[in-house]
Order: sequence, then C-alpha cells, then structure tokens
Amino acid sequence: MTLTARFALTVAACAIAAPALAQEITINSFGGSYEEAHRKCVIDPFTAETGVKVNIVTAYSADAFAQLRAQKDAPQYDVIHFSGGQEIVAAAEGLIVPVTEEQVPELANLYDFAKAGVAKGEGPAYQIAAVGLVYAADKVPSEPTKWADLLKPEYAEHLVLTNITNGYGMIGLLMLNQIAGGTLDNIQPGLDTVSKLLDAGAVVVNTSPEIQAEFVQNDAWIAPYASDYAYTLRKAGLHVKFVQGEEGTPASFITANLVAGRNNVELATKFINKELSPEAQACFSEELRYTPTNSKTVLSDEVAADVVYGADAAKGLMRFDPTIIEANRSAWTEAFAKTIAR
Amino acid sequence: MTDRRETWLLLIPGLALLVLGFVLPIGRMLVLSVQDANGYSLEHFVRFFQDSYYPLVLWRTVYLSAVITFFCLLIGFPLTYIMAHSTPRVRLWLIIMVILPLMTSVVVRTFGWMVLLNRSGLLSTALRDLGLGGRSFQLMHTEAAIVLGMVQVLLPFMVLSLLGVLLRHDPRLEEAARTMGCSFLQTIRTVVLPLALPGIVAGSILVFTLSASSFVTPSLLGGARLEVLAGSIYKNVTQTLDWNFAAAQAVILFAGIALLLIPYLRLGARGHG
Repeated sequence: MTLTARFALTVAACAIAAPALAQEITINSFGGSYEEAHRKCVIDPFTAETGVKVNIVTAYSADAFAQLRAQKDAPQYDVIHFSGGQEIVAAAEGLIVPVTEEQVPELANLYDFAKAGVAKGEGPAYQIAAVGLVYAADKVPSEPTKWADLLKPEYAEHLVLTNITNGYGMIGLLMLNQIAGGTLDNIQPGLDTVSKLLDAGAVVVNTSPEIQAEFVQNDAWIAPYASDYAYTLRKAGLHVKFVQGEEGTPASFITANLVAGRNNVELATKFINKELSPEAQACFSEELRYTPTNSKTVLSDEVAADVVYGADAAKGLMRFDPTIIEANRSAWTEAFAKTIAR
Repeated sequence: MTDRRETWLLLIPGLALLVLGFVLPIGRMLVLSVQDANGYSLEHFVRFFQDSYYPLVLWRTVYLSAVITFFCLLIGFPLTYIMAHSTPRVRLWLIIMVILPLMTSVVVRTFGWMVLLNRSGLLSTALRDLGLGGRSFQLMHTEAAIVLGMVQVLLPFMVLSLLGVLLRHDPRLEEAARTMGCSFLQTIRTVVLPLALPGIVAGSILVFTLSASSFVTPSLLGGARLEVLAGSIYKNVTQTLDWNFAAAQAVILFAGIALLLIPYLRLGARGHG
C-alpha cells in the first residue's frame, strides 16, 4: 500500500469515527511560549468571536511541511504556518492556495514586503523575526555592534552557533557567509568561518532550548539568533540583549497559509485575517517581540524599542531568497554537517 | 486438520500486524532507497560511500551500540544474578527499581543527564575540580555522555531478558558445582554463564538494536557534531525532505545490524543445542 493510500485510509477511518463537525479548523503552531501567545492573541479571541473550535498541532515549519506534503491527497490542516520560507515551495507544488482581499480584508493594510507572494499562492507574513546578535550584557567584555564581532577571539569559547536545520541557524550562517565574502551561489566562505570558530571553541546546538541551556549553564555569551528569542531569554531571568548587526538585519518571515483541498475555506481565511489584524499583531509583539507586518499596528514605546517597528525601519530588513535556500537546503545541510562533524 | 486451522486462526492477528506494520513499510523503504527522479538507480548508496562522512557516522553508530551493549551487560549481569538469588520480596523491589526509569519520558530523563553533564553540572565540575579536565571541560557533547544516557535507558531491557533465563535454572546446579570444588568465579564461568547464554544473547540483541536505532538521546547528549545514523535519517526525513536518501541510509543500517546479528544469533542457537 502506498503512503498516500494509507493516509486516505486513516482519513476514512476518522471520518467514520467523527461525523462532520464543520465548525472547527486545524492549524499548526510552534509549541512552547509561541503557542501560548498564539492562543492568547489569535486563537482564543477567534473562538470567542466565531464559536469555531481550533485544533492545534505542534509542528515546526520543516516538520509541518513534511506532513503537508505527505498528506497531499488528504490534507489535515486548514491553515499552516511556516517560518522558513516553505510556503514558496508549497505554493509551487499546489499544496497551498492564494487568498484574496475579499477573503482577507486586512491584506490591504500589510506592508508590501509582507504580501509580495500572495498572488502566487504564498501566504501573507503575519510576523517577522529579525536575526541579529543575542548577547549576555552582563558578561561580554565589550558590547557587539556588528556581525564581524562574532569572530573576535574574546568571544571564542563563549559563542553558540545553531545548526542550519534550524531556520534562524540557516540565516545566521548565510550572514556569516556574506561577511566572509561568500554569496548564495557559494557558501564555502561561511562554512570555513564556522570551522574556524569551532576550532577556537564555539559550540553548535540543534534547537533553541539548547541555546538557553548554553547561556544558563555553559557560560555562553553570544549567539547569532532572533530578537524574539532574546526576549525569551530575558523573561527566563537572563540579562540578555539583542542588537541588529551593522552589516544588515536578515529576517525570517512567518506566514499564514491556506491549505489546498479543504472544505473550510471561509473559516480558514477568517482565521488568517484575524492573525493579520492590528490587535493580534500588537499582542504578538507585546508577548514575544516579533516585528508586526500590518501598518496599522500600534505598539507601546517599550515594545517598539525591542522590535523593528515602522515602515522606515522595516525597509532595512533583508531576506535571503528562500527559493535559493530551499533549492540548496539538502546540499547545504549535508555540507554543514560535514563541516561540524568531529 | 482442525488443529491446523486453529493454529492459523491464532496466527492471523500477529501475522496481519507484522505484514501491515513491518513487511509493507520495509518493502516500501527498500523501493524508495533505489528510486531517483528518473527511475531506479543506486545513486543514494553511491552518495553514502562517496566520502568518509557517512561511513564514519555508520561506524560511530555501530561502535557506540556495541559499547552500550557491553556496559549494559557488565552492569546488568551481576545485578540480575543478585536478583535471581534474592527473596521474591527483595526481587520485586529490585525489579521495580530497574523498571522505574522506563516510566518517565526519554526526553525528561535525557534533560536530567544534560543538567548533570554540562559545563557547570555536577559531574563536569567534579572532574574539573579533581584536575581531570580543562577550564571549559564538560561531558556534554561527548561520546561518553551518549553511552551514559543510553545505558541508563536500556539497562532494564538487558536485566529483564537475563532475569527470565536465570530464574529458570535449578539453584542446585550451582550448589553442586560448589560442592564439587568450584570457586565462586569458576561456578559463574562454567555453570551460570553458559546456562544464561540465551538470555545474554537476547538481551544484547535488544539493547544493540534499540541503541542503533535511537536518536533522541544521542542527539541531545551528543550534540550536533556527533551524528549517529538514526539522527541523520531523521534529519533527512523531516528537514531536508530527502526521503530516498533517508531510505537508503535506513537500508544500510538495517543491513549492517542484520550482518552483525546473524553470527550472534548462531551463538545463541548453539547455547540452546
């Protein structure tokens, strides 16, 4: 029996077990405090307003995408969220479909960069995670200001890098590559930099909780990572700050995508609209320090100081072409694994 | 005739489960491993052996599994021997103690080890204070950490496999050996060990295959730089979505384990005969 046939069987079995309850939708979220904020800012208000039950499956972007692809003939998600540019491939493969301004009125208020791919089927970005330098302000001998500071010998044994199987890890590597003179056609300079940093005593981790463990327990001082995670660490009681590197602020877009082949389109698009609304975005920024994409979002000064806020600031963000990343992901992941292997 | 029909009826549930849950997926995996964009080819296997990276990952997987099995046996055998010779009451408590770790999630257990093994953890600090490690010495992200964590997880499988066999022996065999002039160690070597061989083989196979196929503990304790094959397969399935190469790696792991286990099973069979 093929994989798809097996999924079809499972779906059939579920359909018999639970007769059509149309008033619910299924989405993925990213677990932990993200999921809590997702609930508080979007899901709970959405359920309160519409009476629609939202089933949450905890799955990171790559896992969620793998599931979406495997479920091609019988999709289980209504709205799927990606943070690693997976929507570009998903749209090209027809796994997700375009949303229109009639279905999602808030699209009109989004910054242009957040809805660039909407016509092609890529979901709009409802949040942006800016990647820069996360550092322990109470420990570093001098405050970092640029990406090149990561190479300073004084940080050598206190630097944490993240595997590129992690979305922010990938962005961090590409930025290291860029300052070492590499391009998206040639990441060897970046890999060489990583080699050098590891030889000098840097640590590589696979997941974000391990970064926290490194800062708390292993005397780590600095990591190229996202602004929201700096806030997570601060809430955990660490004296951690985030700074945008002078060379540029690469960003990861978190998108909300409408899954193809489901019969819940109206509820699903309503849900996406809720995610794009100024209230939901302000709430997300307040909770997790993500950069909002709706130009009508109003933030308090305290929150605004921690994120990239406003049309002008947002223009300074850069995005490494996710299609090139996707096309090379497999090869780069392998090359990175070989670079760091002991 | 009726007997045979009943035998078959009793076999059906197990057989169906085996076919649906094992034979079909393994078959599918075999097919995936030799497929590429244009049809069938061995390119994934060629890729595996094209440089030393994947063979080294395979070697680390096999070698760590062997070390883990060895330590499980080293700790498990004496423990089980004592358990078999204690009163049923004491034995029950010992069994509960051994099984207890199985009742917590593997992730929780592993995070416990992480707290103990990292740079400011108890074990690393103690070793540093004794002058056995440098300033930034830590046990996390070492092969020793993987072995420690895995032995704890897998010890119960070894102990339970051994216990069943050791309990079946007539204790008078050992008494006879002792009265015939054997020392304690001689008794163990000439009487207990040979009789326990089927249990040793079964437990070792269980521990070996479980450790060769586990990836949560190795990836958390070993870190990103010490890859094992199961972890590499997981990455290819979930992150780079390279299912064909993942299948090829799984076939190689499967074949590697089978190759190692066949002689071991022979040993077990001789023990029975």
